[in-house]
Amino acid sequence: MPPEEQSLVYADVNRDVVRSLLVTGPRYYVALYTALGVTVLCFFFPWFYQLFYGIGAAGMNHPNVWGTYLSSFIFWIGLSHSGTLLSCVLHLTNSPWRKAMYRSAEAMTLFSLMVAGVMVFVHVGRPWFLHWALPYPNQMEMWPNFRSPLLFDVMAIATYLTGSIMFIYMGSIPDFAAVRDRTTGWRRHFYVLMSMGWRGTDREWHRLGLAYTFLAVLIIPLAVSVHSIVSWDFAMSIVPALHQTIFAPYFVVGAIYSGTAGIVTVMFLLRKYMDFGQYITTVHFDNLGKLLLALSLMWTYINLIEIFTAWYSGSSAELEALTYKLFGYYGALYWEMILFCALAPLLLISTRFRTSFVPMLILSIAINIGMYTERFLIVATSLSRQYLPDAWGFYVPSAVEVSILLGSLAMFTTLFLLFVKLIPSISIYEVKETLATPSNKTGSDAWQPSH
Amino acid sequence: MDFFERIRDGWDKHRKPAHEDDFDYAWTMAIDLDICTGCGACVTACQAENNLPIVGEEEFARGREIKWIRIERYWEGEFPDAKLSFIPMMCQHCDAAPCETVCPVSATYHNQDGLNTQIYNRCIGTRACAVYCPYEVRYFNYTSHHWEEPLDQQLNPDVTVREKGVMEKCTFCIQRIRQAKDRAKDDGRRRIRDGEVQPACVQSCPAQAMTFGDRKDTQSRVAKMINNPRAYRVLDELNTSPSVIYLKKVDADAP
Amino acid sequence: MANIDRRDFLKLVGAGSVGAGSGFMLAESIKHPVEYLIPAVIPPEDFSPGIVTWYNSVCGMCSAGCGISVRTREGRAKKIEGNPAHPVNQGRLCALGQAGLQVLYNPDRLTAPARRTHPRDSAALGEANWEQITWEEGLTTVAQRLNELREGGQSDSICLLSEGVRGHLASLFELFIAQLGSDRLLHYDFSHPHSLYAANQRFFGEQVLPYYDVKNTRYLLSFGADYLGSWISPVHHSLGFGHSRQGQSGFRGQFVQIEPRMSISGAAADQWIAAKPGTEGFLALGIAHHIVSSGHYRGADRADWAKSLQNYSTGRVAEQTGVPADTIAQLADAFMGNRPSLAIGGGGAGSHSNGVDTLIAVNALNYLAGNIGKAGGLAFNPIPVAYPTAAILPHARQANYRKMLALAEDARRGKIQVLLLSGTNPVFSLPAAAKFQEALTAIPLVVSLSSFMDETTAMADLILPSHTYLESWGDDFPEPGVGFSTGSVSQPVVSPLYNTRATGDIILALAHKLNLSETMPWPDMKDYLKAGWREIYRRGPGQESFESFWIALVRAGVWGEKTRRESTGFVPDKQVVRNIGVTPPQFSGDSEAYPFILHPYLSIGLHDGRGANLPWMQELPDPLTSVVYGSWVELNPATAERLGFAEGDLVKVESPYGSITVPVYLYRALRPEVIAIPIGQGHSEYGRYAKDRGSNPIQILAPQMDTTGNLAWSATRVRLVATGEKVALVKTGGTSRQLGREIIQTTTSSAAYNAQDSGRIPLREV
Repeated sequence: MPPEEQSLVYADVNRDVVRSLLVTGPRYYVALYTALGVTVLCFFFPWFYQLFYGIGAAGMNHPNVWGTYLSSFIFWIGLSHSGTLLSCVLHLTNSPWRKAMYRSAEAMTLFSLMVAGVMVFVHVGRPWFLHWALPYPNQMEMWPNFRSPLLFDVMAIATYLTGSIMFIYMGSIPDFAAVRDRTTGWRRHFYVLMSMGWRGTDREWHRLGLAYTFLAVLIIPLAVSVHSIVSWDFAMSIVPALHQTIFAPYFVVGAIYSGTAGIVTVMFLLRKYMDFGQYITTVHFDNLGKLLLALSLMWTYINLIEIFTAWYSGSSAELEALTYKLFGYYGALYWEMILFCALAPLLLISTRFRTSFVPMLILSIAINIGMYTERFLIVATSLSRQYLPDAWGFYVPSAVEVSILLGSLAMFTTLFLLFVKLIPSISIYEVKETLATPSNKTGSDAWQPSH
Repeated sequence: MDFFERIRDGWDKHRKPAHEDDFDYAWTMAIDLDICTGCGACVTACQAENNLPIVGEEEFARGREIKWIRIERYWEGEFPDAKLSFIPMMCQHCDAAPCETVCPVSATYHNQDGLNTQIYNRCIGTRACAVYCPYEVRYFNYTSHHWEEPLDQQLNPDVTVREKGVMEKCTFCIQRIRQAKDRAKDDGRRRIRDGEVQPACVQSCPAQAMTFGDRKDTQSRVAKMINNPRAYRVLDELNTSPSVIYLKKVDADAP
Repeated sequence: MANIDRRDFLKLVGAGSVGAGSGFMLAESIKHPVEYLIPAVIPPEDFSPGIVTWYNSVCGMCSAGCGISVRTREGRAKKIEGNPAHPVNQGRLCALGQAGLQVLYNPDRLTAPARRTHPRDSAALGEANWEQITWEEGLTTVAQRLNELREGGQSDSICLLSEGVRGHLASLFELFIAQLGSDRLLHYDFSHPHSLYAANQRFFGEQVLPYYDVKNTRYLLSFGADYLGSWISPVHHSLGFGHSRQGQSGFRGQFVQIEPRMSISGAAADQWIAAKPGTEGFLALGIAHHIVSSGHYRGADRADWAKSLQNYSTGRVAEQTGVPADTIAQLADAFMGNRPSLAIGGGGAGSHSNGVDTLIAVNALNYLAGNIGKAGGLAFNPIPVAYPTAAILPHARQANYRKMLALAEDARRGKIQVLLLSGTNPVFSLPAAAKFQEALTAIPLVVSLSSFMDETTAMADLILPSHTYLESWGDDFPEPGVGFSTGSVSQPVVSPLYNTRATGDIILALAHKLNLSETMPWPDMKDYLKAGWREIYRRGPGQESFESFWIALVRAGVWGEKTRRESTGFVPDKQVVRNIGVTPPQFSGDSEAYPFILHPYLSIGLHDGRGANLPWMQELPDPLTSVVYGSWVELNPATAERLGFAEGDLVKVESPYGSITVPVYLYRALRPEVIAIPIGQGHSEYGRYAKDRGSNPIQILAPQMDTTGNLAWSATRVRLVATGEKVALVKTGGTSRQLGREIIQTTTSSAAYNAQDSGRIPLREV
């Protein structure tokens, strides 16, 4: 048993988690209000300007009709992948190190999905009609177009969002109950509602376990399919550089990669600012680091395949699109992406690196910057170099777009900050399962110290 | 025919989103590249007929010009052996149009005349159709445009003026086709005669490089042009089945 | 909310619905402000809502005179198409013609007569304030002054300077100026092919341009004439080009273009030959020499020709022109071997110091090949029926550079008291060296009849704005003609938009105020027109009444007589043959100090600057460079590299007579020692779309003339000075190489298929 946990008892867990909910210092409020302010200023104000002016407020043009709004959308969907997926996979494999981090990872998924959903509204030309993409009974007697990958997107993301909400909520019911019994006032009312009258009986636990596992099994293929479907927004076109079968695995691997890096970042912040040092340990970072390394290697492989396929095709259009991506105006960004996502993560081979908190934080942020660059490059360079050379173009994001990207980050942060104060960010009951009980002095059987 | 032959035979019909056998008319345009002089009369005629906006210098510099038909220029060689060729490029009205499958709200679809139509008031502006189009002939309204008075007096009342957020493209002057069909109906349900309806670009071309008609009418001019040995389709290898055929330019110098 | 009694409930419901109702109404009224419906029970004349009315008329955008059909709805002009019945354009129309709608509905039109309130100062151009006056005031002022001058024996101080006009408006001008006792009637257009008229006058003895039968030719040799883009009748020539290329059974017409900078005619050509600028005449004579010396030419006067051409052997000419001797021989063989052939010349080639001689040489080629009078060659046009007895044909009134200089000089000397300007803009389209703007300041009364505040109108004292061509009655007899007599009537397609009047009406109103009603009795232009056409009507069989003739004429928009002039059997004068020859081109400017030759050219959309106030034309990508909304200077890429210039670098183009600053564009089909700048931008007035945009290369042209006094606008030498600044050219972007993607596919097969199966619309027999 890791030294930090040796002396933990159930009461400690309760106390620490409840304290994380109730005790707020000025730092928290500063962070929350800043995030909220930045969201309003940098996301909503420019967006409202864009609603009046048109998409022209962004930098898109002909032929670059897609820009950072779409790459941000894909980035946020990607970020959403790891949380719930990892949580489900690790639940099925019964890994003990999942227990402390899965709640916030799932929350990260949820909020990423929400931000991604808002990005769709920003991206679309007439968002006030976006509801037409939903199959609801209407006077026009129109269905949406089910052949469209964009509609697969709508269905998939809606399902994933629903699934994730159900999953995180279901898993949190016992925790809501635990906190309910330890709070007063409006919080108590809130947790009463949220816990749905949980009493902690055997039957309830049994049913929770079944339902939870059932959902976990369903969500895994869902997560894989969602980002494949998002990739098909691109891959089903016949435009060079986008029309590649590798896109589905590319996006899924990239999503899990980016999401896992996101989890590392979130873990670091929770650990530091919520005083969860005893719950989020080097073990977590170590294992996440190994996962990141595996994903990084897979990601690198896929990038090499992309280059190889373009070269092997001998197609003027494919080669041109690739050359533009690697050596064109945005060439520097490509190599930055390689540096952050393929080369730097090789440091994860070292155990020492994996178990050092700050280097892991820096690397995880670097990976996400690299992953955002990847999505940006796909959008910004491929549309500039299509089949007809006379129609090639050039795209630069506008100030409105950069602002909205920052704003989306702030929006995510705001949601997450609200989350940590409303919902237990560490799963109380699951962590307790890893602790020593009066009859089990060494804690859970599956728990193995990592060093 | 055996089972497999029957499948192969009928496959084409089901592979494409739209198939000629189901059309009332199959509107086709033929452009002779040996005659096109690049003068741009078609571009201006289209602008006048279809209420295309004047985007202004700033928006043009940002790459947001809207020209449903554009003249592409391709150079070959260097001085003194430089050669320049023009090719007018507009919506090819593909029978296997990649744009039709991707629109989430079915704002673009293949109508019974073989035209790829754009329904402005259904478009929500996802712009996926423009990404999917390999000919890059779809244009998005990045902002609402206005015409300095009294230039707006010239606007064609038969064609919508598009607002921001909506995609637009060449329609083969569907308003003229619709009017021709109405006239034909009034005349006793006859078919539209060859040459009776011409899009603005075809009508204006000073060199008569463009021809328009119904390829289901085997006696029409375009039907004959399809069989011309010089006929080809641009980006044919992508199998989009365009309804625009081009006639190869004759280059006497080529080896 | 749990306890609420009935009364309160009803109050709430009532208030709620009133509130909702008024809110709704408020919202609705904001969406749809109250408007008044005007019943269509008493509709305006001439339109039924929803019903289209077509009017045939004549295009006024350039001098070609194409026939147009204008689609109107609810009294508004919506679309201009070509008139299918008109022999010049046969239903087709160029980009500039389409943009005529924007002339009519231009936001910068002059809307009412105006008088200048601040003194004219050439340095403060355009700053004048104008006060609106009535027509009565304006006309009276002018008439009074004209009367004074006429009665005081100073009739020759009255000058009428108009754009090139034909038909009955031209006759009206002639009549008016003659009645005033003056002979100062001048037309001025930058693009008028003076040297072509002069060369044809010398060689053919003809006062009208011949008909160039591009449609039936098998081989066209063009010396500098951008016949598809801007040379005299581009739509007609494009029609002919298309037909000759792929509309003939059994052969495909060949087109050769000789010019230092590739125009769209050069792009369409099968062979583009960049001879040294100004040596096109040598090339023509070199070809002629080969034709004669190789025995192709068997005419009776071949000895005379051989003698005249002895100094133009292919070897010597190859040196002069930079075109290899083999090529010259090949051109000659092809020209003779693919008959009927046609040689044409103009544009830059006709605007050198040797321009007239060059074009005479081109005419000689046609003679030697026997093209004169043949289909596919050139044929003489009959004199237009509108002026059968005219001593001076309208185009003879076109003032060349020498005449404009003379006018300016007379103005400076105080010999011009009144200048009436109609639709011409010499302040913009004359070189600065002519000092025309300054000369205007010396004229006490300048009256402009223009529709727009252009640079010259900004110098006027009085503006009596005229209708645009779409609001006017008029007629035209196209020049060059189509081989037989034809004329077209122009009618208003909409009611006048503003308080303007037709040019002819203004002249007639002045005439009436000057008591000229006896000799000029017509109340307005329409009446004058009808009187004129009555004469033409009398030439016909007279089977119908004049009224029905007139109505049929206006409805059709075009009239013709199937008469041709016999053109075969033409033999040039012996003296002409003896004098055939070309001198090397003279350029203005020392070749050391000014190493480049400036090649200005008429742009497709803006022509000579007249299209610059039309937003459609500003936004039409130039066909060869795709640039919009500005000017540029084309440099050969090797030249640019040598000088260290990249695209977008702002350079000063300096001639000995001025300088302009323009961004660089790399253009590969250009001789390395030549730089090219499109004409059309660089306006300092002329409305919001044209003003302060780009540069005007005409400004810096040297006042060099050819032998007959025409401006040699291709003869200016310039130098390039870097400014260190850079701009981004606005263009459609992309790369203009196909990169092997076979977008434009070519075939070597020049053997034509049977035209029957071609699907092409056959051109009418002309």
